[in-house]
Amino acid sequence: MAFKALDPLLHSQLRLAVMSLLISVESADFVYIKEQTKATAGNLSVQIDKLSNAGYITVNKGYEGKKPKTTCKVTSKGVDAFEAYVKTLQQYIKP
Amino acid sequence: MEDKELTPEESLSLINNMIGKARKRYTDNSFYFLLWGWIVTVASLAHFTLAMYTNFEHPYVGWSLTIIGAVASAIRGSKQRSSAVVKGYTDKMYGWLWMCLGLAMFTIIFNGHLINWNTVPFVLLFAGVGTAVSGAMMGFKPLQFGAIAFWVLAVIAFRMPDIYQMLLMALGVIIGYLLPGYIMKANAKKHGI
Repeated sequence: MAFKALDPLLHSQLRLAVMSLLISVESADFVYIKEQTKATAGNLSVQIDKLSNAGYITVNKGYEGKKPKTTCKVTSKGVDAFEAYVKTLQQYIKP
Repeated sequence: MEDKELTPEESLSLINNMIGKARKRYTDNSFYFLLWGWIVTVASLAHFTLAMYTNFEHPYVGWSLTIIGAVASAIRGSKQRSSAVVKGYTDKMYGWLWMCLGLAMFTIIFNGHLINWNTVPFVLLFAGVGTAVSGAMMGFKPLQFGAIAFWVLAVIAFRMPDIYQMLLMALGVIIGYLLPGYIMKANAKKHGI
C-alpha cells in the first residue's frame, strides 16, 4: 500500500505546534501562542498567515484598551486537515 | 522553535506536547463561589432572623443582594473573557452552566410567593448540580462533596417548614460554596495565579 503524502502545510514544526495548541482550545491570543511555542514574533506571524490563507484558522485582529490583541481560532476545515494529518502519520508509524 | 523537517515520531510527540500545554491550566473561579456563598448566607440568615424574631413585613429583603451579585458576576465574567489570553472549552461550558443555573434559581426565588416560599429545596438541588458538574470539570473534590451536602440538605428541606429551610440554605452554601471557594483560593495562591 502506498503511503499518502503528509499535508505540507501541517508538516512543519511551528505550524504543527500552532495547530496542536489551537485544536485543544476555543481560541488563543498571539502572545500566548508565542510563549508556548517559543517562536519569534516575526516567524510566528508568517506561519499564522500561511495557516489563515489555507483556511485552517481564523485570525481576529482587535484591541484590548489601546493594546492590539490578535486572537486565533481553528476552523472546521483546520480540524479536518489536522485529523487527516494524524491519520496519515499513523500509517507511517504503524509497523 | 525552528522550522525544521519533522520525522513522523517527532510530529506525534510535538502534537502531544502542545495539547498537554493547553490542558495544564489551573483556573481560579473562587471569586464567584465566595461572592455567592456570602450573599446567600447573609440573605438566608437575615430572612430567618427577621421572620422569627421581628414583626418586619418584608423578611426576604436580604435576597435583593442577589441582584448586586448578578451584576458583579456579569461584569467580572465579561472582563475575564475579554482579557483571557486563551479560551478553553471548559471555561465556556462552565460559564453556560452557571448562567443557566443562575437564571433557573432567580426564576424560582422571584416566583417564590406563588408556592408559599417553599423554594429552598429546589434552589439547593440546582446548586448541587452546579457544584457537582464544576467539581468534575475541574477535578476538584471539595465541590463534589459540597454537591452531596446540597442534595442531602434538599431532601431534609422538603420536610421542613419554609422558615427553617433558610437555615439549611445557609448551611448548604457554607459547605458547598464557601468552603470549596476558600480552598480553591488557597490552591490558586500556591500555584502562583
